[in-house]
Amino acid sequence: MSTQKTYEPKPYSNPYLVGVGLGLVLLAAFLIMGRGLGASGAASTLVAVGIEKVAPEHAANNNFYKEYLGDGTTNPLKDWLVFEVLGVIVGGFLSGTFAHRINFTTEKGPNVTNKQRLIYAFIGGTIMGIGAKLARGCTSGLALTGGAVLSLGGWLFMLAVFAGAYAVAYFIRRQWL
Amino acid sequence: MMPYYKFDYFGFDFSLVIAFVIGIGFGFALERGGFGNARILAAQFYFTNMRVLKVMFSAIVTAMIGLFYFAWIGWLDLSLIYIGDTYLVPQIVGGFILGVGFTIGGYCPGTSFVSASTGRKDGIVFILGILFGIFVFGEIFPLIEDFYYSTNLGRATLPDALGLPYGMVVFLVVLMAIGAFALAGWGEKVMSKKNWSRC
Amino acid sequence: MQELTTTRHNLHIDPTMTVWGWEIPVYLFLGGLVAGMMIISGYFIFSQRYKKTNCVTYVLPIISIVLLSIGMFSLFLDLEHKLYVWRLYTTFRITSPMSWGAWILILVYPVIVANLLMDPPKFIANKFPQLQKVKDYIHQRPMLIKNIGVGNMLLGGMLGVYTGVLLSTMGSRPLWNSSMLWVLFLVSGLSTAAAFVHMIAANVEERELLAKADNGFLTIELFVLALLIIGLSTSSAVHISAAKLLVSGIFAPAFWVFVVGLGVVIPLIIQLNAVNHKIKHTPIAPILVIIGGLILRFIIVQAGQYSHYLNAHFK
Repeated sequence: MSTQKTYEPKPYSNPYLVGVGLGLVLLAAFLIMGRGLGASGAASTLVAVGIEKVAPEHAANNNFYKEYLGDGTTNPLKDWLVFEVLGVIVGGFLSGTFAHRINFTTEKGPNVTNKQRLIYAFIGGTIMGIGAKLARGCTSGLALTGGAVLSLGGWLFMLAVFAGAYAVAYFIRRQWL
Repeated sequence: MMPYYKFDYFGFDFSLVIAFVIGIGFGFALERGGFGNARILAAQFYFTNMRVLKVMFSAIVTAMIGLFYFAWIGWLDLSLIYIGDTYLVPQIVGGFILGVGFTIGGYCPGTSFVSASTGRKDGIVFILGILFGIFVFGEIFPLIEDFYYSTNLGRATLPDALGLPYGMVVFLVVLMAIGAFALAGWGEKVMSKKNWSRC
Repeated sequence: MQELTTTRHNLHIDPTMTVWGWEIPVYLFLGGLVAGMMIISGYFIFSQRYKKTNCVTYVLPIISIVLLSIGMFSLFLDLEHKLYVWRLYTTFRITSPMSWGAWILILVYPVIVANLLMDPPKFIANKFPQLQKVKDYIHQRPMLIKNIGVGNMLLGGMLGVYTGVLLSTMGSRPLWNSSMLWVLFLVSGLSTAAAFVHMIAANVEERELLAKADNGFLTIELFVLALLIIGLSTSSAVHISAAKLLVSGIFAPAFWVFVVGLGVVIPLIIQLNAVNHKIKHTPIAPILVIIGGLILRFIIVQAGQYSHYLNAHFK
């Protein structure tokens, strides 16, 4: 009989090393595909496909959804970003597994309840969804990728993100500190 | 010649396989950096832990230098790298809104997928929030379509905007990143002494 | 199934023939899973592991019967003339895989039931107290138990092999014209079964053993997949284009990502670390293996119907 071993979560890696690793992944995407990384586009495809399933006419009349549904010759879920995000989920899970960091919990500051934290997460997610679509990308698609290719929009977006984040940080410090 | 996909080394279907593999690398790196944890991400905005800035800038610098190098030795056609059009005002406004959501929710889209895959409930709820937010955006899209397409500057890049050569901008960004790293290290030291909960 | 005629005027045939929907892949998957479970259960009986009261061999037969019946029912749903199903059992043709399959399926049930009777689940045993006598009868005869084990392994093997043979006998579908297909389905059935049993087994020692066995099966599966593709791509033009469907064609994303990546390689990496006690055992790995096995059947059936002798001429 093997004894049940307990595993302690390992500390996170050196940020500069991780950054170089992340940069090499991004570089690989550029060199192989000619495009960078992304995340929010996959969520948009999911939403568009969902709307199309529930209300096909409504989706067809909306230019925003139409863009993600394609011309109908291929399945809209056969999309570069959808498969990339699937990989992100798998990669995150693998890394978490090896470092014993898989844990079914809620991350929050000490002064809020789990429920409050989840409400904040939902509101934050909604705001972010709107912002990401308005800006045509998120931190990975626009700030990281756009930053590396020296896109003007990417750099301005990045500054705006930090400005927005620091602007409200003081008012919701109870959640985190 | 690189990028391989643009020179038809493989087709669309196989590009999805590559997307999956690259995504694994992306997710792995994000999790290693601690980006699956909302507290670490949020700490960035209270200057107690500057991981986000360090990882992000070192990644940008690495990829940027790599692109510059491969284009310089002639293996890469830089004009085939996709650069999204710049829509000045919508992107700045969108970035600001996204930043607000970042502090409130604690994640950005990419990191929320990682946090959900490592079992964080707030990450899962955050993803639901993103989906709802995109739905809201989709529904109000006809009303803001004009604003969405306003101030289009085309394929604008920093070298064009500043009127400097590409290599010079790369050099300046590297300098700026090194400065930011030094500042981040200093900021962490100062802010870790300050007691935030009392202010 | 629709009848195929030589004039090809059936609208289900051109440009691609897709008359098999979800029923056949689901049946092939469940058949393979049950076959694997029978082999595992039979092996545990044969190797005297059944003497431990929490041995998984006492849980598997009832699951096998339920899953196999679901599989048979989905196969039945696919039949065009449902009321004539009994006719399969009025004859036996040695050249017909359908006939072989029908008879193997009929023989599989009594063998599983024999395994079941070694220790019937409580809800059955309570209803029929006389089963206790059967149980005692079996347990007094070690040779009989050994034979139950051998029978389970043998018929499990036949069931697993037959699901692949059924497809590879169809000459008109280039993708299925491979002698590796039955190996692939047998190994995939074994790996999904080992993953499933690894997930539900109560005995820690058995769990470890099955996780290790699963790693072995997954490794073999990788080689078999490679051999299948190499075999097809060194054959005639239609076979090469059939292999391309999986390697770089429209089935490539599903094949590489869901079958090879999520179904084999990633669970293998996780389980290799788990059996070496570097990380915790996680149910995610076996679940991925099982889903991968199901998607493999879907892809082989769909891509097989898509692969065509005519496709070689126009793309």
